Amino acid sequence: MPKHEFLFNGESVESSVENHGKTFRVTVGERQFEVCPLGNNLFATTVNGRKRTVAAAFNKGVFYLDIDAVQLELQEPGEDQFSGAAGDHSAEKDKIYAPMPGKIVKILVAVGEEVSEKQPMVIVEAMKMENPVNAAAGGRVKAVNFKPGDQVDTDSPIIELEIPQ
Amino acid sequence: MGDLKASGKAIGMSEKLFNKILVANRSEIAVRVMNGCRVLGIPSVAVYSEADVNSKHRLFADESVLIGPPPPSESYLDIGKIIEAARQTGCDAIHPGYGFLAENPALPRRCVQENITFIGPGAEAMELMGNKIVSRKKMEHAGVPIIPGMKSGETSLAAFKAAAEEAGYPVLIKAAAGGGGKGMRVVHAPNELPASLEAARREAKNAFGDETVYLEKYIPDPRHIEFQIIADNYGNCVHLFERECSIQRRHQKIIEETPSVALNDELRYRMGEDAIRVAQTAGYTNAGTVEFLFGENGSYYFLEMNTRLQVEHPITEFVTGVDLVVEQIRIAAGLPLSDYLKHLTQRGHAIECRIYAEDGENNFFPSTGKIIHYSEPVGPGIRVDSGVEAGSEITIDYDPIMAKLIVHAPDRPMAISKMIDALHNYKLLGVKTSRRFMVDVLQHPEFAAGHTYTSFIEKHMSDRITDQATYKEMAVAVASVAAMSTSTASVLFNEGTTSAPSPWQTLGSWEIGDSIHA
Repeated sequence: MPKHEFLFNGESVESSVENHGKTFRVTVGERQFEVCPLGNNLFATTVNGRKRTVAAAFNKGVFYLDIDAVQLELQEPGEDQFSGAAGDHSAEKDKIYAPMPGKIVKILVAVGEEVSEKQPMVIVEAMKMENPVNAAAGGRVKAVNFKPGDQVDTDSPIIELEIPQ
Repeated sequence: MGDLKASGKAIGMSEKLFNKILVANRSEIAVRVMNGCRVLGIPSVAVYSEADVNSKHRLFADESVLIGPPPPSESYLDIGKIIEAARQTGCDAIHPGYGFLAENPALPRRCVQENITFIGPGAEAMELMGNKIVSRKKMEHAGVPIIPGMKSGETSLAAFKAAAEEAGYPVLIKAAAGGGGKGMRVVHAPNELPASLEAARREAKNAFGDETVYLEKYIPDPRHIEFQIIADNYGNCVHLFERECSIQRRHQKIIEETPSVALNDELRYRMGEDAIRVAQTAGYTNAGTVEFLFGENGSYYFLEMNTRLQVEHPITEFVTGVDLVVEQIRIAAGLPLSDYLKHLTQRGHAIECRIYAEDGENNFFPSTGKIIHYSEPVGPGIRVDSGVEAGSEITIDYDPIMAKLIVHAPDRPMAISKMIDALHNYKLLGVKTSRRFMVDVLQHPEFAAGHTYTSFIEKHMSDRITDQATYKEMAVAVASVAAMSTSTASVLFNEGTTSAPSPWQTLGSWEIGDSIHA
């Protein structure tokens, strides 16, 4: 009986799958689901007596799912589980990254400045909108690597912090 | 076969209206316009930037021309390059779509010089309606209602008092340099006026560095109701009824419907006549939209006219059966209004939901990335106008609208439930959307009751959250099976592929590798 493990918002969730011809019976905790692959990333499953079509596709360590217009992500556990998703720098609290590629509108802090958690650090313009990016932890600004007008991607730290241990 | 072909000719193919049409736009609206060209048997030419080499609109067109780098100013907004592309491909007409150059009078003006037909209004009418202050004044003279208020830059308290009396309380004081609600004050009675005026000036000065404020009638709980009009080059003009577009976030429409529950036949007749008066006063030709603010007790006020096709035009097409792009092309070619346009009725109810690349669970924050799965709902009365497919990259270069989902049903309750089902079955993975948010709007009792005011989202949706944990077990169950299935395994091995999808492939099939094509 194949077993699977996924991470849902960092929480490990396990499942076991039994094959019954065209359909699969999946046990997740206390609940059981009949799942039938329909092809083209689509699956049918019955919940509360109602059949639903669910889309599921895998890309770069993440399962993307669409259930009743709700979009969910499950991560594959593994050695690189925290950097699996592209652009996921959530573990690096000492670096400020752009949430999406864009243009730097304003740098709100200077090297040497003490900053607190959730303080806006930089404003990045993308898709005609200005998006403030906040510090994930308090500390002191160690480096500012870009200036207003620069284009940034999601993998180059804009600002680096020194976080007291 | 011969007979079939002959009858095809008889219904329009014989009179080819243009040799070739250049579509000066991208994504879903470009594809939509090209569809209209196909219906009329006219070849279409796409223009595209370096960012759109693999985009749906480019591959959908009969021909395509690269016009420059991704920034719009160097490609889609460059009139010289658009004209050059039209010349190079032998196009005798240009359709601008909406956005980009659609409301820039320089394009129709240049088209006249180049002897190319612009599919839209003339430059003069476009210019007039582009100036909101001048156009409102002109329409007021023509007898179209506008929001009562101050027309001059008077600053004395006495002038404000007199203007408030004339407009009738409650009134709204607004910053001239304004926006975002700053420097805005609602005044309910004369004794509140002096203090509110002072406060609004102070706020305006702090926010905009300019303390100039003015006063107009306050419209509580307004709706946004607009009328589609279409006019030929011979003075004939008709309206194609209303669209209600009150459901807005960040002052941008996301759900539109027609008919509006707020109108009865008498109001519809009066507003329709006023919409036609606006178009005729402006000397307007081709398709356009007259926007009104709709207040209490059937009061309504002219806001502005959009001199182009609208994003939400498909709902009008559903209830009238008219193909607006086809009519635009016919009028631009010099044909008079078709007879059937003079005898239209509204049949059933239509709703549109805009599918933006944005996070409906996080303040509509823009979302970018690669679409890793895409499939559309099908069924009676369901239409999708889309500019994306599986493999499309959503970048920061352009407007985040990806597609529009439109449904048609015999009445409003059925249209609402059909839309909810269609949103459930519209599947898009890899880029965030507001689909669940829109499902929640459609399921809200106040929406069902027709209490659709422009404040709807702020009022009823600000506390809303989606409890993703409800779906945790189901998601894991499906992912467990997906992880075992062949197609997903092939995605695993193809990770990072950059191969371009072809629109001729079955939707969503691109990520299935060659190895399992059976």
